[in-house]
Amino acid sequence: MAVLTESAPAAAAAPTPRRRRSYRRRAGNVVRALVIAAVCVVALFPVYWMVLSAFQPEGKTLSFPPPIIPRGFNSSALSQLFADQPIASWLGHSVFVAIITVAITLILASFGAYLLGRLDWHGKLAFGLLLLFTQMMPGAMIIVPELQFYRSMGWTNNLPMLAVLYAAFNVPLGSWILKSSFDSVPNEVLDAGLVDGCTRMGVLRRILLPLSRSGLVAVAVVAFFGSWNDYLFASALITNRSNYTAGLGIATFISQQDVPIFELQAAGVIFSLLPVIFYMAVQRYVVRGLTAGAVKG
Amino acid sequence: MTQVLKAGRERAPGQLGRRSTAGSKPRLSPNWLPYLLVIPILAFEGVFVLYPIVKGILTSFKSQALGAQNSYTFSNYSRMVDDPVFWQVIRVTLIFTAGVVVLMLVVGLIIALLLNWSFRGRGFVRGILSIPWALPDIPVVLTFLLMADPNFGIFNRMASWLGFGHHNAFFTSPHLAFASIIVLTVWKGFPFYALITLSALQAVPDELLEAARVDGAGAIRRFRSVVLPSITPTLCLLAVLAFIFSLQQFSLIYLTTGGGPGNDTTTLSINIYTQAFQFFNYSYASAIAVVGLFLSIIGTVLFVYIERRVVASRR
Repeated sequence: MAVLTESAPAAAAAPTPRRRRSYRRRAGNVVRALVIAAVCVVALFPVYWMVLSAFQPEGKTLSFPPPIIPRGFNSSALSQLFADQPIASWLGHSVFVAIITVAITLILASFGAYLLGRLDWHGKLAFGLLLLFTQMMPGAMIIVPELQFYRSMGWTNNLPMLAVLYAAFNVPLGSWILKSSFDSVPNEVLDAGLVDGCTRMGVLRRILLPLSRSGLVAVAVVAFFGSWNDYLFASALITNRSNYTAGLGIATFISQQDVPIFELQAAGVIFSLLPVIFYMAVQRYVVRGLTAGAVKG
Repeated sequence: MTQVLKAGRERAPGQLGRRSTAGSKPRLSPNWLPYLLVIPILAFEGVFVLYPIVKGILTSFKSQALGAQNSYTFSNYSRMVDDPVFWQVIRVTLIFTAGVVVLMLVVGLIIALLLNWSFRGRGFVRGILSIPWALPDIPVVLTFLLMADPNFGIFNRMASWLGFGHHNAFFTSPHLAFASIIVLTVWKGFPFYALITLSALQAVPDELLEAARVDGAGAIRRFRSVVLPSITPTLCLLAVLAFIFSLQQFSLIYLTTGGGPGNDTTTLSINIYTQAFQFFNYSYASAIAVVGLFLSIIGTVLFVYIERRVVASRR
């Protein structure tokens, strides 16, 4: 009962309920902090292992039992990775595809958000349901007809057309995210714009979009994720190794035995950097958008 | 969504509609603007999403056999109904989905309860706990395959500590593969559920909790009688989302187990992919995809229905 010796004599004789409760609360907080720390360790162990196995000297991760703490540091995996494998060009493809996806998604999602939130028109309900359904539908359900369609148009192995497809899957979610951003612009601002002679298109361009910069960033990040992380469509539509995106390229190494594990892990770490950084920057908008604004992030 | 559902009936102030600008500046506020703006989106989604859906549904009614491709038939569906593998796939999909939904909600709720407490560095903890969700699937798969390696993986070292022997082939042995993909999916996705549950917990009114405390309710009683009822709508919403995301799950399963051993981890998405790209049964794969479309429509309808209740409960 350390707290009793610290407190004033009167209180030590008869500790008030309040003081006893604060002591218990403090002890509870310590336990809680320890549990949180333990959860973090368990949850992040695979992330630690991913980074560790990329930068350990060759062979260390392969011994049994494997070491838990790092033994030495080896950055040769990185240099070797870019020397041996077409990883650099695949990463370039991924960036290229992501930029096109983000650009198309931003333009169409700003129309979509305007239509969902601030404009009044017939068919809004059907439009919202259509977007929601597109967002919820598993990609595998249309992979076959999509491939047939792309083949008939000669769009296979075509990175810009792959990006267009990604955009089609990201416009709905982007519209919902941006709508919740548009909703937070006060009505008076819009009315003032109209009174001052803005057209409705001008309201979107001069008022809503400039006031929704954070929402636009969130949409950009979501679209970036959608294109960066995809394996399903890339594996079906891109068959030419020289046209691979980075995710597809790294995934094909899984079945090949000739790439050293630490090199593969280094590729994985490089591939993860951009998404993790972007996500950290905008996490609350992403969460809000994924539930279509029902939950305040 | 609720805003959308309401919009058909009543017009919110500040909406740029027919009424709000009627008579003010007709030249500058054209009523046709919404119908103009919707064209590019409808065209875009129509060409790249809706057209393939319609095409897929039509393909599912065509025979794979050469020469019979112009006539429509139910043969793919009758084959599907008679195919024990299809029913196994449905079973795997439902058990996988149910397992993921339950575990996601439980893990998400526990972590949210842990974090629902103001302490220094909470934002930091929330941020680093989100890393699994922010990582792309493919590096995650690489790492888990490495960790689960039967010969030198770290998981086997842990298993032997706990007395489960070593050389467990987590992703290829019949009993472990299914549990392994569930664990992997939950590990990858739990931050999303934890974050949303946390925001629901933070919306529980303090006065209610304080009133319960004054009435002498203990922590467990307060959780059961005050906290749980107020976050139930959000948990329902998350359950539907977990259902939808499990149906969408492809790369985590395909790149670790490939649907095996046997068809033990073959969900609908995996089944469609292998039927199409390993066996080249495009029309049969399309028929299976139609079943998946139905499931995702059910998911969407449930989402809309429950989301309306969530928004209503927040008012």
